Amino acid sequence: MVITRRRLVQILSGLTMASMTGVGRAQFWFAPSLTYPALKVGNTRNLQNNQPVYFNYPDSRAQGLLVKLGRPALLGVGSGRDIVAFSASCTHMGCGVQYKGGRMVCPCHFSMYDPAKAAQVYQGLASTSLPQIQLRIQANGDIFANAVNGLIWGRAKNI
Amino acid sequence: MPYARRDQLPIPPKDAQAHNTVCQYCTVGCGYKVYTWPVGRLGGVKTDQNAFGVDLSQQVPLAGQTFSETMHSIITKKDGQQYHVVIVPAKDSPINLKGDHSSRGATNALATWSDTRATQERLKYPLLRIGDQFQVVTWEEALEVLGRVLKGIREKYTDDAIAVKCFDHGGSGSGFENNYGVGNLFFKGFSVKHISIHNRPAYNSEVWGSRERGVHELNYDASDARLADTLVLWGANPYENASVFYTEHMLPNFQGATVAEKQQNLPKGEPVEAAYLIVVDPRRTSSLTVAEQLAPGRTLHLRPNLGSDYILANAIARVIWERKYYDMGYLQNRTDLGKLEEYKAKSLKSDTTYADFMAQAVKITGVSQADIEKAADWIAKPKAGGAKRRTLTIYEKGMIWNMKNYDQIAAVVQMNVLSHNIGRPGTGVGRQGGHQEGYVRPPSPTPGSIFAGGPPVNVDKYITGGEGKLYWVIGTNPYLSTPNNQVYRKRVHERTTELSNFLGQSGEPASTRERVAKILEGLDQTGGLFLVVQDLYLTHTAQDAHLVLPASAWGEANQTSINCNSRLLRLYERFMDPPGEALQDWEICKRVGLKMAELYRQDGNTTEAAKFEFGKNWSKDEDVFLAGTAEFPNNKIPESEEATLPAECYTGVTYRFLQQQGQKGIRTPVRQDPASGKLVGTLRRYSTNFGTKDGKFSWYGTDDWEGYPAEVQKYLEGDMASQYPFWMTTGRSQLIWQTMYNDHLLPEKTSEVPMPYIELHPQDAQKLGIKGGDLVEVWNEEGNGIFMTHVTDAVKPGLIFALMYHHRGTSNSMTSGYTDPKTTIPWYKGTRVNVRKIAGALPDLQMNTSVLQQNKFD
Repeated sequence: MVITRRRLVQILSGLTMASMTGVGRAQFWFAPSLTYPALKVGNTRNLQNNQPVYFNYPDSRAQGLLVKLGRPALLGVGSGRDIVAFSASCTHMGCGVQYKGGRMVCPCHFSMYDPAKAAQVYQGLASTSLPQIQLRIQANGDIFANAVNGLIWGRAKNI
Repeated sequence: MPYARRDQLPIPPKDAQAHNTVCQYCTVGCGYKVYTWPVGRLGGVKTDQNAFGVDLSQQVPLAGQTFSETMHSIITKKDGQQYHVVIVPAKDSPINLKGDHSSRGATNALATWSDTRATQERLKYPLLRIGDQFQVVTWEEALEVLGRVLKGIREKYTDDAIAVKCFDHGGSGSGFENNYGVGNLFFKGFSVKHISIHNRPAYNSEVWGSRERGVHELNYDASDARLADTLVLWGANPYENASVFYTEHMLPNFQGATVAEKQQNLPKGEPVEAAYLIVVDPRRTSSLTVAEQLAPGRTLHLRPNLGSDYILANAIARVIWERKYYDMGYLQNRTDLGKLEEYKAKSLKSDTTYADFMAQAVKITGVSQADIEKAADWIAKPKAGGAKRRTLTIYEKGMIWNMKNYDQIAAVVQMNVLSHNIGRPGTGVGRQGGHQEGYVRPPSPTPGSIFAGGPPVNVDKYITGGEGKLYWVIGTNPYLSTPNNQVYRKRVHERTTELSNFLGQSGEPASTRERVAKILEGLDQTGGLFLVVQDLYLTHTAQDAHLVLPASAWGEANQTSINCNSRLLRLYERFMDPPGEALQDWEICKRVGLKMAELYRQDGNTTEAAKFEFGKNWSKDEDVFLAGTAEFPNNKIPESEEATLPAECYTGVTYRFLQQQGQKGIRTPVRQDPASGKLVGTLRRYSTNFGTKDGKFSWYGTDDWEGYPAEVQKYLEGDMASQYPFWMTTGRSQLIWQTMYNDHLLPEKTSEVPMPYIELHPQDAQKLGIKGGDLVEVWNEEGNGIFMTHVTDAVKPGLIFALMYHHRGTSNSMTSGYTDPKTTIPWYKGTRVNVRKIAGALPDLQMNTSVLQQNKFD
């Protein structure tokens, strides 16, 4: 098909529409593709190594898990590059994962994720890593959740 | 690096085309639903706006409809249009209850062919090696070359010079239809005797030790795992390799969650409780360690020395005999008492005192007498009130690919039958299975083991020994999968290259006839081999081929298979088109047959031509499915005679019937009720008779412990003992499927298992200065391999575990050429090796790959 200028405008406006509404002709969305709220989930001063903090994000029905690993992690933030956060819903069937000694374990079917490797699945039935929650640290140490990189289990759309 | 993620997925609209299917991967055969619809339209979040019928505006309730990032893709059909394809776990399957699924099935959508994704690597057109490069040709040209080469070879050297290595399984794009196609080509058209099965060097059952007792290996139902008092996993690791069978049918039993089901299904008043688990395995597998979390005090781990499992099974059986945990009435009525004496004398050593026998068994197996006796109690000790205990014993490759395959399998089956742990609810002794099944073929050249007309010929050795002229590899990648792999790869490469070089220093003959003449001349004058590979991808083996034939895959045709844990037959519906000109294997075989027939008719040889016209009336998948029933005996028989039927008998079943059954399917062997004519499935086998001529179980006396075969014993003597100080066993990982033929294209998989790995005990790791994530070389006289290291207590000091298949290498390079003289089944899971650290490290690999312990859940 020859793409005329008129047709090109149609395509571009279609794409713009799609990115605004999330529906329409655009077919692939790579995360983060949505507008996420910024939410304060902790402060670096209050984080202790391997003591997870649970919070709700991006809304009250989704649980996230924030942890300082005490060792550098893929996509980790903070001076030690060791602070990471993930959706706490197992990507297999949605059970709440538990943080146990440097690992995340699902109590339902025992999928396990490595928080230092972007929550890579290293055992179990889950097919993707836990969605990683993008973090930003302010000068005063406040940690903000910015976006979710991956689909939260049980949703067709994160927001 | 972490792979690209998604945070929203296209919702299937209410009118999306819906298909029933079954996962293409493992033995379990979970049910799946496929939705396809044209790109450009989307469903909505409300219940009545989407095909799931689920309110997606709310978080789906826990364990509701899973729709993960890997369950959607876009494909292109022959009409040129793009379609969404969504493949999600079915909610109405008796196998994957509650919509459970594994990471294999969850990626079915990603593995579909598309020219805009990595699966564009799929073969679209036939490829012919011309000028020592692959060149695209038409089917007509490919068939002309192949037909004439085949005809030339068989006329000069007979069919014995045509060697084949071919799948014989269900699922994975094969099933009854494709099995029947290849079976007809090689057993009706050609009379091929040098044929071997996809994962081994010969054409044999892996369980003749069971079948020749009258017990087909698929005899239990998945529900038996929920009803059992005791589960025995012997050389089977279902948490990783049959994941949903474990999580939906075993795990609830460990937790006591099936007690109500037991009360409902078992005789009133019979004591029931949560299950006990016995794991027999050299490793602390995750199937064991998960259960340790859920049922502390109810698990028992036996770690026999490699190869000694049959001695252990016999020792447990001796305890059962000694403690009278058997029912003499059952043994008298249902088993061959004459042969029982042979079993007692040879396997149970009834002439030896119990104390002497046990001392010997403990010495050989390395398992304590207390544990052997505890296992016997858990397997066979009658319950309070005298009710027989219900034990389901599931074995797999740890037993099958053990030393002395025949005796290993016979021993474990006999242990269960001795205590009547077969043919009753909650019992059985059978395979876990690796893949699904779907075997129907004309009679094969080898009827059985050395005791029944065998053993079959070792085709690997035939080929590596310089014999044969044409080698046809179908749906398997033996450059990774066959034993003694390094020898095999090097020799096949050498022989195929020799032929390629003969075809011309520079220019090669260009007309079809001249090319064929030159090929035949080369086969005559050199030790060369003409290699044909028929597959989905240009596999490692295909790289050396002269002719590559593109096969179509799961989802690209209607197919039928059974799973292993319930023999559940279902229709795997076609939902997309194959790439380019790829064809189902049955259709390729039909076309080759018709080409042969045409060539013979040109010669006026109508007799020979007729043999090759087996497929002339096959125009669609179901034609082949129905034609296959010619191989089954009369199935209009009463239930009491079910043992006379082959396990896969489906006579009377049609696609229409299967469509109506949907996920419910029907359990084979299928009978046609003599009174009503209705199709009846078989839930569980051997409740009335065994599959022998007289219906009685046929006992067998196993061999004494004879030590290790020469191919491995050499490593235990003299200098070799210190040069190769480790035992190596091998196996699979939950995270990847088989040789990764699909998985190597999926970043979700390659990031998790970027290369083959070994497991090394912490003590050995410390001694060798090796850390998790380091690279090591593993080697012995047979071969070499580079592996990443996982440091873990899953293995014992002095024993390493190596991943068997990975697209970047195989532990089979180190396995010996030994096969069981009774069956020609290899011992993939035991040899001796040395390990050295490779200097330096790959920081990128270490940064991106988890080395956390895979069996540690606490």
